[in-house]
Amino acid sequence: MAGSSPLGSPAAYDRVGLPEANGAVRFVTKSEFENLPVAERVRLLMGGKLQFFRGDRQLTAREALKGA
Amino acid sequence: MTATDLDAAANAIVQRATDRFRAHRDQILSSTDRLFMWLMLGQWVFAILIALVYSPYAWEGKVKTVHAHVYTAVFLGAALSSLPVALALLRPGWVVTRHVIAAAQMLWSALLIHLTGGRIETHFHVFGSLGFLVAYRDWPVLITATLVVAIDHLIRGWIWPESVYGITNPEWWRFLEHAFWVAFAIQFLIIVCIRSVRDMRMLAEKGAELEALSEGEWRRSSVLERVDPAPPRPAAV
Repeated sequence: MAGSSPLGSPAAYDRVGLPEANGAVRFVTKSEFENLPVAERVRLLMGGKLQFFRGDRQLTAREALKGA
Repeated sequence: MTATDLDAAANAIVQRATDRFRAHRDQILSSTDRLFMWLMLGQWVFAILIALVYSPYAWEGKVKTVHAHVYTAVFLGAALSSLPVALALLRPGWVVTRHVIAAAQMLWSALLIHLTGGRIETHFHVFGSLGFLVAYRDWPVLITATLVVAIDHLIRGWIWPESVYGITNPEWWRFLEHAFWVAFAIQFLIIVCIRSVRDMRMLAEKGAELEALSEGEWRRSSVLERVDPAPPRPAAV
């Protein structure tokens, strides 16, 4: 099943779009995002501006984080 | 939501994640201390049984006496186990407790090797113990254990080689060979410990991410409710 793990859990993301101060979006890989300090990840998630992707498909933040 | 509010809420979430990680780690360290406490007592009983089965009596001429190994197992075994057991009971989770336990566990290997006359098979106790120590997920205890076993092999191999190798004339560098295999084992075990702690931290951070997501959603929905409030209820007649 596309977008799902063999166990049927939601798909994990592989790319994240981070909002920049100038309004642009900077894309980072999953591991680059996970290597950000936890406080920064928490602030970004609370801000609700992150964009999660698996391949070309955009996921909701909840889908992305539960499948990660 | 102002930047100050966001920072305060984010800091609180990060603090809760840090607390969860520490609590999980402390729980693992304390429960492992208690596990080793039982192992220390079990090894003591086992050592006495070994001494009773292996060499219960000695002969002084025609006089049969209890072999020194039995006394060694009873008294030296009690001495080896007493401090780790006391620390596991009184100060579980303390950094000194686990290092004392690591050292005592290696000294237990030394005692069991001595009681079995330096049998090479009893040296497996060293490697089993290193594996047990990984339960702490704290790699420095493996260094303590390695130093203790290397120093024990060096000193006993020098002054009483039968006690550790079962022969009277081992090569002077024999302890280095044993130490090499211990070092070989612990380099992998150290990686396992480091990865394990990293996974624990990631688990705590994953919880923080989900909490941040929920907190952000709740705060945004609260703002919407303030912008578009529900119509007021009609006044009761």
